[in-house]
Amino acid sequence: MAEEKPVASRSVILREEFDDWAVLFDPDTAEGIALNPVGVLIWKHLDGKHDIRDIVRVVRENCEDVPEDVESHCRQFVDSLLKQGLAGTEIVNG
Amino acid sequence: MRTPKSVDIDITDRCNLRCKYCYFYNSPADVKTDLPLEEWLRFFEELNRCAVTEVTLAGGEPFIREDLKDILEGVIRNRMRFSILSNGTLITEDMARFLASTPRCNYVQVSLDGSGPETHDSFRGPGSFDRAVAGLRLLQKHGVRVAVRVTIHRRNVRDLEAIARLLLEDLGLDSFGTNSAGHMGLCQKNTDQVEITAPERELAMKTLIKLNKKYRGRINATAGPLAEGRMWTRMEQARRKGLASLPEGGWLTGCGCTFNKISIRTDGAIVPCNMLSHIVLGRINRDRLEDIWQNHPELWKIRERRFIPLSRFEFCRGCEYLYYCTGNCPALSYSLLGEVDHPSPDGCLRKYLAEGGRLPEEELLES
Repeated sequence: MAEEKPVASRSVILREEFDDWAVLFDPDTAEGIALNPVGVLIWKHLDGKHDIRDIVRVVRENCEDVPEDVESHCRQFVDSLLKQGLAGTEIVNG
Repeated sequence: MRTPKSVDIDITDRCNLRCKYCYFYNSPADVKTDLPLEEWLRFFEELNRCAVTEVTLAGGEPFIREDLKDILEGVIRNRMRFSILSNGTLITEDMARFLASTPRCNYVQVSLDGSGPETHDSFRGPGSFDRAVAGLRLLQKHGVRVAVRVTIHRRNVRDLEAIARLLLEDLGLDSFGTNSAGHMGLCQKNTDQVEITAPERELAMKTLIKLNKKYRGRINATAGPLAEGRMWTRMEQARRKGLASLPEGGWLTGCGCTFNKISIRTDGAIVPCNMLSHIVLGRINRDRLEDIWQNHPELWKIRERRFIPLSRFEFCRGCEYLYYCTGNCPALSYSLLGEVDHPSPDGCLRKYLAEGGRLPEEELLES
């Protein structure tokens, strides 16, 4: 089954701050969204090399108290980025 | 913040005008050097790495640069938005079309100081009103967002109603901003002609408050008579109620700029603000912006002004408003007194009242 490997939009800026939170800023729309540290971790793996299962594995390895339904959360988050045009997809036949 | 969110850039020392209250000419920002395009493009790459989201281009007059399009393309290529501060007189159809072709333009601010040539040109030069309005209309024609700044001085303080009608009705702007000519740059040589007296300030305050009510909040100000009218009335209300203090009152907290932005002089010197251009923190393309932002002691000194109590100053001794006051703009205190770490006499309510100024009636301020 084909699995998507999301890619962060190159024009979107990730502004990281000292407390590990960040803002994703789209200079075309001037809109920004806040990311918590898990969101930042996921964003940094939207490089066209990681599909959702890879991303879930990264979250499990790097975060504490990961819920059972983490995959659903990750998909939902990535889908929202895709919907807002902040990321795109590369489809790789699996 | 790890890095500044925005950067103000004086992109040129040149201007086709010499307005009598220009804060730039004859100030420490006026270093008579323009950098070549390549230096700016290289700097924009650093701003990209620093995740800076926007730049504001000023000067001088940005549209005088023949390579302005190349500069803006560099800004865009490096993922930033931009705004431009301009006298409006050099804006061409081609440039307006170019600005409209990118979604990255926040706005172009055009300075308009009169309802017609008589007031505007009196300090800006013959023909400047007509050319500024022409430039503004070109921007509007192409759908570029336009902001207008009205600088209040002795010759237009009685023209404010007509100015508001021109801008908000005839030209159809959503809003406009106001400030008064401050004691900086060329204004220092023309004080008596330009800077409004206490009674004129009172007139400006009351007129702008009335107009802002009439036009339902479409007049903006973070400094100058409209902002003062609001802030000083709050301070007087606090005094009457016997409040212990107002938020941030009693300390030199008037300036918050250095917490989210930094400025660059026309010669590439990195400075805290383009009105504190005598404080050189480093140079672009030589010193790391992130290091300066996080570690430069002179920048931290300005940020830590907020820990200096107003009670320390002889100037504030015995003032009933001390615990409501923030000390206002450090650039003005430097310009007037040669001291950055001092409350600005220009922003002093007690001084204003002592000079015969009165506050607007409180009911004027009610929405």
